[in-house]
Amino acid sequence: MAKRVDSASTGSVDRREFLKGAAAGAAGAAGAIVTGPAPAQQAAPANQRPGVTRPTEADARADFVPPEPRADARFIRNPGSDYMVDVLKALDFDYVAVNPGSAFEGLHESLINHGGNRKPEILTVLHEEAGAAMAHGYAKAAGKPMMTLMHGTVGLLHAGMGLFHAWCDRVPVFAIVGQPRNPTSVINRPHSAQDMGSIVRDFMKMDDEPTNLDVFANIAMRAYTIGLTPPRGPTLLVIDSELQEAPIPDPSKLTIPRLSMPSIPQGDSGAVKEAARLLVSAERPLIRTGKLARTSAGWDRLVELAELLQAPVDVGGYGSWQDFPSWHALYGSGGADYRPDVILGLEINDMTPSVRAVRATGGKTISICSEYLSQGHNIHDFGNYSEVDVAIAADGEVTLPSLIEEVRKQSTGNAQRLRTARGAQVAAAHKSIRESEIDAARYGWNSSPVSVPRLVAELGRQIQNDDWAIVSGHQFTGQWQRRLLNHDKFYRYNGDSGGFGIGYDTPASVGGALAHREHGRLPIAIVGDGDFNFVGAGALWTAAHHKIPLLLIVHNNRAYHAEVMLVQRTAARRGRGNDKVDIGNVIRDPAPDYAKIAEGYGIYSEGPIADPTALGPALERALARVRAGEPALLDVISQPRGPT
Amino acid sequence: MKQRGLAAALTSVVLASVVLAAASLSAQQQVQPVVGDAARGKPLFSDTFNCYACHNFDAQSGERRLVPLNYTQEGFITFVQNSPLPNMPAFPDASPQQLADIYAYIRTIPADAPALRDVPLLSDVLQRKNRAVAE
Repeated sequence: MAKRVDSASTGSVDRREFLKGAAAGAAGAAGAIVTGPAPAQQAAPANQRPGVTRPTEADARADFVPPEPRADARFIRNPGSDYMVDVLKALDFDYVAVNPGSAFEGLHESLINHGGNRKPEILTVLHEEAGAAMAHGYAKAAGKPMMTLMHGTVGLLHAGMGLFHAWCDRVPVFAIVGQPRNPTSVINRPHSAQDMGSIVRDFMKMDDEPTNLDVFANIAMRAYTIGLTPPRGPTLLVIDSELQEAPIPDPSKLTIPRLSMPSIPQGDSGAVKEAARLLVSAERPLIRTGKLARTSAGWDRLVELAELLQAPVDVGGYGSWQDFPSWHALYGSGGADYRPDVILGLEINDMTPSVRAVRATGGKTISICSEYLSQGHNIHDFGNYSEVDVAIAADGEVTLPSLIEEVRKQSTGNAQRLRTARGAQVAAAHKSIRESEIDAARYGWNSSPVSVPRLVAELGRQIQNDDWAIVSGHQFTGQWQRRLLNHDKFYRYNGDSGGFGIGYDTPASVGGALAHREHGRLPIAIVGDGDFNFVGAGALWTAAHHKIPLLLIVHNNRAYHAEVMLVQRTAARRGRGNDKVDIGNVIRDPAPDYAKIAEGYGIYSEGPIADPTALGPALERALARVRAGEPALLDVISQPRGPT
Repeated sequence: MKQRGLAAALTSVVLASVVLAAASLSAQQQVQPVVGDAARGKPLFSDTFNCYACHNFDAQSGERRLVPLNYTQEGFITFVQNSPLPNMPAFPDASPQQLADIYAYIRTIPADAPALRDVPLLSDVLQRKNRAVAE
């Protein structure tokens, strides 16, 4: 997953680039601070510019410590943040999500002027949660992390939900928060903290606050490597504002560390051999996957293993990634009559249901999962302890080649004959299931509001000749995307939020779409109206501003409808009647007009569309815009749920 | 004692009246069952009782399809007021008239869906899916 940086070239090039600037700075003056008049920006003192309030005498008296010279009254040849940018460039980031803040203005300025706003390029976001979610969605689609910058406590708190999702989804996000150190202004005091990282520590793989630039480089490299080593996750650097601003004392003593990525842990050879033995001797093996394959190679290897064993592959529901082609004969759990005697879990963090399923018949379970390498954390997103028969603490994807090799070695002629018969049985069950699923889609076909299957099928018709990618989750459309769209590539589906809180889908879709842009793919998101109303609208502006093509369909049922059902059931249990359960759960009176909101952000939009016959033409018009490189939005008034 | 006896007598009279009234109501219901009105039933289904949340607005494409509705009106009223199913809440406060209206509304919804051959888009998906599986 990590893009390995060529150590020799990266180290030398970035070091040269940094030292060139440093030498120029050192030649400029013995002291890096120029106090005399020179740059145009010093023409007027900051406190005399329009919009800036001059401090009163009372303000001055309130702070006993004499104020430092104002940061913008100095001219620094080689600020620490320039070095930070050179270090970050060695990590090969393409983008950094930024909602500006004074706690990282030094780094912000260096990214633009020292770094040239390239690698990373700033992605302007309107909310830190949106920035974290974009980095999350981007990382899954691009296979490499994005940076996100936040301003002090307030920015970090806003970003918290986005970082939480990345944690639960085991996705790396490289987060940096500015720390206003020794703040003298009344505004910055609440924006700084004694232990900034503690705000989000419960769901970060690591956080640290470097005390000098050497340590910054060290910690940046550590954060990157730790974040990308399974189980992956977000990491946080807390960057002192003074460390960004202060001139580098002796640039010749600073170097850019070489990125050294550790290899990803593979399964122990003895345990893999035993796993292969169980699978080869099984009569009805089943493969279950969680967050397994985010690369083409991982996808291909899982197909290879499934076909070799002729074993069905159950990719799970919410929270799982795609991992396996949805229109493959071995996709699914093999049908109602397929009772597995061996279950292989690949990156399944809770094998308990599998253990339970085979225990009564004496079956066996195998788990290959990087979650075993996870350290304790506060959040209960890890699974139950499970009594599996072969537990392998390793990354599932990178262990697949050795497992496949072992299965091949141990396979006999008799085992192959058994597999052929098994494959035929599974294929027959698959045929029956897919026919019944398509049959179920007929119900409500002509309904208004539009049924979920109709929405997905109309979309499928329009994109069948495109290289498309669904960049939103499928939590609110059930399995209909997988049933009606041929997920035949590893990037067709970007997965759900991980933490199952709403607010992820829209901004993460923008991040995913950004990653697909350079490949010329057609990104599509189907997001709930509840999700869109969190930080989604502002994310649209980012898509418009940065010209990120994306078709965003608002699956608009004008309610948090699952909660309507939950409150109904609770009211019924308590015998209190059901006529008030829409209070607090519906989004009507007035019903928001999402097409108008999108229009306000400069985005092509249509809606509300409640007539199913109007949907196809609307999709055609909107997709034409997206294929031309624009974002577009369709507001589709929909039935709440898909048929089961 | 005297007062207690009077109270007991009054209680007996009241209870007897309730029983008689109930018997009378029951008899009236048997004679004149409530008549549902589909127009009144639609907003009861969609808004008042939020049936749409699970069954969708069309009662066809939701978590549990309601058509064709195999209950009698009386059976429907009894079931909805006393649902024993874990995912289907009981609606004891819904009146027989309201439930008869909802029943009448559901009966207006087409019981079946268009045949697969009449939905070219879905037929096409099935054909493409069959081809993909065969490859």
